[in-house]
Amino acid sequence: MSAIAMDIRRNRLMLSYLIVAVLLVLLAVAGGFLSDRFLTWRNIGNLLQQLIVLGMVSLGQTFVVLMGGIDLAIGSLVGALTVFLANFLEWRPDLIWLALPLALIAATGVGAINGLLTVVLRVHPLIVTLGMSSIIFGGTLMYRKEPGGSVPRAFADIAYTKVGGIPISAIVLVVIFVLAGLWLQRTRTGRSIYFAGGDREAARLNGLPVDRIVVLAYALSGLCAGIAAIFLTARTGVGDPRIGVALTLQSVTPVVVGGTILAGGRGGVLGTFLGVLLVTMLNSLLNFVNVSSYYQWVIQGLIILIAVGIHSSRRK
Amino acid sequence: MSASVIELSQIEKDYPGVKPLDKVDFAVQPGEIHALLGENGAGKSTLIRVMGGVTKPNSGTITYLGKPVSWQSPKAARAAGIHVIHQELALFPELSVAENILVDAQPRGMLGLISNRARHARAAEILAQLGVDIPTHAKIDELPLADQQMVEIAKALVGDVRLLILDEPTAVIAGREVDLLFENMRRLRNEGVGIVYVSHRLEEIFEIADRVTILKDGQLVGTSPVSALTREEMITKMVGRRLSQIYPPRRAAPADGPDVLSVRNLRAGPRVRDVSLNVRVGEIVGVAGMVGSGRTEVAEAIFGTRAVDSGVIEFDGKPFERKLPKGSIGHGLGFLTESRKDDGLFLGLPISANIVAPDLDAITRRGLIDRKQERAVATRQIQDFSVATPSPDVKIGNLSGGNQQKVLFSRWSRIASKLLILDEPTRGVDIGAKVEIYRIVRRLADSGVGVLMISSELPEIVGLSDRVFVMAQGHIVGEIKGDALGEEAIMDLAVRSVEDRKAGMDQHAEPVG
Amino acid sequence: MTPLDTPMQRSQSISIASVFERYGLVIFLVALMVVAAIASPTFLRPANLVNVLTIAAPLGMVVVGQTFVILVRGLDLSVASLMATVAVLATAFKATTNEAIPMIFIAAIALSAVVGLVNGWLVAKRNVSPFLATLAMMIILQGARFAYTGGAPISTLPPGMGFLASGRVLGIPVNLITLAFLATAFGIVLHRSRLGREIFMVGSNPKAAFLNGVAPDRVVILCYVICSVCAGIGGLFLLGYVGTVSNWVGQGYELDSIVAAVMGGVALSGGRGNVFAALLGVAVLVVINNLVLLLGFPIEMQLIIKGIIIIGAAAFYRTRLA
Repeated sequence: MSAIAMDIRRNRLMLSYLIVAVLLVLLAVAGGFLSDRFLTWRNIGNLLQQLIVLGMVSLGQTFVVLMGGIDLAIGSLVGALTVFLANFLEWRPDLIWLALPLALIAATGVGAINGLLTVVLRVHPLIVTLGMSSIIFGGTLMYRKEPGGSVPRAFADIAYTKVGGIPISAIVLVVIFVLAGLWLQRTRTGRSIYFAGGDREAARLNGLPVDRIVVLAYALSGLCAGIAAIFLTARTGVGDPRIGVALTLQSVTPVVVGGTILAGGRGGVLGTFLGVLLVTMLNSLLNFVNVSSYYQWVIQGLIILIAVGIHSSRRK
Repeated sequence: MSASVIELSQIEKDYPGVKPLDKVDFAVQPGEIHALLGENGAGKSTLIRVMGGVTKPNSGTITYLGKPVSWQSPKAARAAGIHVIHQELALFPELSVAENILVDAQPRGMLGLISNRARHARAAEILAQLGVDIPTHAKIDELPLADQQMVEIAKALVGDVRLLILDEPTAVIAGREVDLLFENMRRLRNEGVGIVYVSHRLEEIFEIADRVTILKDGQLVGTSPVSALTREEMITKMVGRRLSQIYPPRRAAPADGPDVLSVRNLRAGPRVRDVSLNVRVGEIVGVAGMVGSGRTEVAEAIFGTRAVDSGVIEFDGKPFERKLPKGSIGHGLGFLTESRKDDGLFLGLPISANIVAPDLDAITRRGLIDRKQERAVATRQIQDFSVATPSPDVKIGNLSGGNQQKVLFSRWSRIASKLLILDEPTRGVDIGAKVEIYRIVRRLADSGVGVLMISSELPEIVGLSDRVFVMAQGHIVGEIKGDALGEEAIMDLAVRSVEDRKAGMDQHAEPVG
Repeated sequence: MTPLDTPMQRSQSISIASVFERYGLVIFLVALMVVAAIASPTFLRPANLVNVLTIAAPLGMVVVGQTFVILVRGLDLSVASLMATVAVLATAFKATTNEAIPMIFIAAIALSAVVGLVNGWLVAKRNVSPFLATLAMMIILQGARFAYTGGAPISTLPPGMGFLASGRVLGIPVNLITLAFLATAFGIVLHRSRLGREIFMVGSNPKAAFLNGVAPDRVVILCYVICSVCAGIGGLFLLGYVGTVSNWVGQGYELDSIVAAVMGGVALSGGRGNVFAALLGVAVLVVINNLVLLLGFPIEMQLIIKGIIIIGAAAFYRTRLA
């Protein structure tokens, strides 16, 4: 085997990233050709503004998938939190300092419960999080069936404020992704996510606290959903129990596109970040050239399959 | 004795239907290498799992460094200075050598973050201490099996170890690597570390161990200095009876019938590079060699689950070109695979379904399963192979390992009218079942079936085979028959040729796998 | 050395466990019905019971198929989307007379078979995880359907379609007859035929199945086809019940069909399960849903209860069979 082939094999993750990055550039160029408004500052600003919600839920999903699980409760959780935030802030706009931490704590708690249930009951994470999703969704609907509530102006601003032309939310997102990447790559706890996802039994034999790692990954996913919900509520100004319905499955797409494998143990947040950019830019481009959102669904499905095809065929 | 590193007293472990440990006492002194001997299924691995905190005993006490302990997890045992090298490698194939070695002790630098440079430096240091040259950036799944094993061993040198337990570390390494391992074990012994060493190779026990404890069927047979026992005595204690009683008598005259299987210059993937062998009608042919030498892959190529690159496989005198197990089964070829659980049994299904699995045709009438017929076949096979079960409807997962293996024999002997390939046919079964299995194999051969038997247990190869081929690194390196057939002769061939090739490979390094 | 030192004790404890395992769901269902009858006199009224069963029938058809897929260690998230797509397809004929009904059935089954074939091919031949493969299929079907209808489907259907939901033959609802027929036919395939045996072998241990001469890929693909066809037929019957076509016919059936199968003891790890037990799971699910309504609780509570029982049922079977 040649040295180059070895090198590529070793850096197959890098290659995944490269492919996605090249696709991104191609998309941008294509966008520029198809519409002269696509590559304007204004549009790029809009695009960046949209990143945070999908970015955060995908990041949460990345933690869980890397650890070898899956979180299908993300969407319901985001929906429930927007309802909580909008209604709470309508009632007491002055208590925003209380509402936001409460939302984050609740989100982390729900995630931790997901993790605990998979660990204690040893039930497939798909079942646990699907069940949890149904419970949260039902509970939210019992409280509020229709979108409602409102948010104070100051809160709405966090979604729209820009610093030097760049939305704050995008900066927050980048900072969080950098921290997450550092944590995963350079701390012992972060690495243990990879160990648990790579081979759970081996991780146990190597003396790693596997159960705690599992719970931690789900808790982080919950926390990410909480952050997503805060920005989503700020942007829309209402609490909508159904707003997260599609988000669960959307959170999986960037993860898969970014080369993280569903079996766990391989991948990373950089891939997810690129995946989020790709999905967001593609949707934006399709809107620009007036492709109906219906076809965007078809395209999203195809992207998942193509991504899985590319990443898995090079695995051997 | 309070000076022991670890002292186990009256340890019991129960599973439904089996009792892997029955009131076992075991103690390791600081600065000794203590060999743990026993047949497969004698309870060695369970004892190791108890010491390493993987399994909790049902009763009994563990005293470690003078204090009673009750490990809740491998983590607790490790934190206290117990390092176990398990038989199955506990490595992460997608991750680097350095990361695997320092799995729970990654060096931290600035801001408490793991330092990549320090990680590789420390890993390289440990590998150098061990005496091997493995690139720390390589991913585990790029390494040959022997190097993977050395990485696993390197992990033991990371922390402050007081008790080191090695479960068959030499199964996949040979020659220089074994020497390096022993050197390091002696060094650790001199530093006062207590070492538990498990190996099937008695000559290694004599070379390195100070004392030996022998287990049989989950019970303690005894502990004594190695020098106080002869090889014969060890075997007799381990097995519980004399060797002559274990193996059925060999056939009187060497088989001179036609070849049922003839393989010439077979190449199949990286692990099968040049293999020629033959099996005559009614003959038991052994295939010996290290794990990873390509034995299993040869069997897979013959059976049709591995693509053949070049070479000839003749079956019953005719070129044999089938691509799938289905065709092989139709020709009267059976393959009892190495791992019962992974690719042999249908654990959730009843015994009867497991028996008839390769031959559904025989019990199918107009597309429907004839249950009466299935039951009849299963009942007959259960009797023939004396499987201990109340009914063929019992789920096979509820049987003991030995009985599961007998079910697999009853499955394959039914359809293997010409040739039966056995890969590690007695792995994990007790001695009673072993003796029965040996008789079954001999009976099959006597009825005219050719048997190709792959095994890592040399006594079994020597005791049962009419002829033996020795494999090393994808090549058949020798054939032994008649009076020359002995464990030493086989080891000699296997190890020497590995070393020869290693020497040759150093000139133009070529990654395997 | 035999593991059967005390055969009496062991067989007894096994039999109690297995009775509970086998009949636990029946006992649970009967208990639920008793509670329902006590809580609300309406429950046992024929009109209500027929209504419950009518709701149960299309779900039952989907569950029969879902069972096949779960048995081979899979999962089909595209069933609900397929049901709606089949419903839209039924309107594509713009037929106002009953002559079109056979055509509609043939087209629906053909479309379903193709969908199943693609799912199965992705899973078996391309090694895509069932979750991702059927998820992608779900979204693609959804997009295609919306694109075709432009978001506003027409509801031109032959009048006879309603017969599928409310019609009776000899006093028995026709959808129940169809379900019984489907369940029996596929039950025989699964539990009596050679193919069924191969399905259990592949689900229990795909590698061992291959080594025993079975072609696992073919078996897996077949299971996905069966699942999609069942879902497609279920979609037509559901359409008959709903009467009007929407882009969301069958929404939630992917979750419900998995809940019912898991409740019926079909193991997500594959190789263990029974079509008829899975249908009992359907009965439990619809009785619970009905009970929630009869007791005057908000309908959303069904979602909460569903979530709890799926986790609870999975945990129950896990500990039972560990």
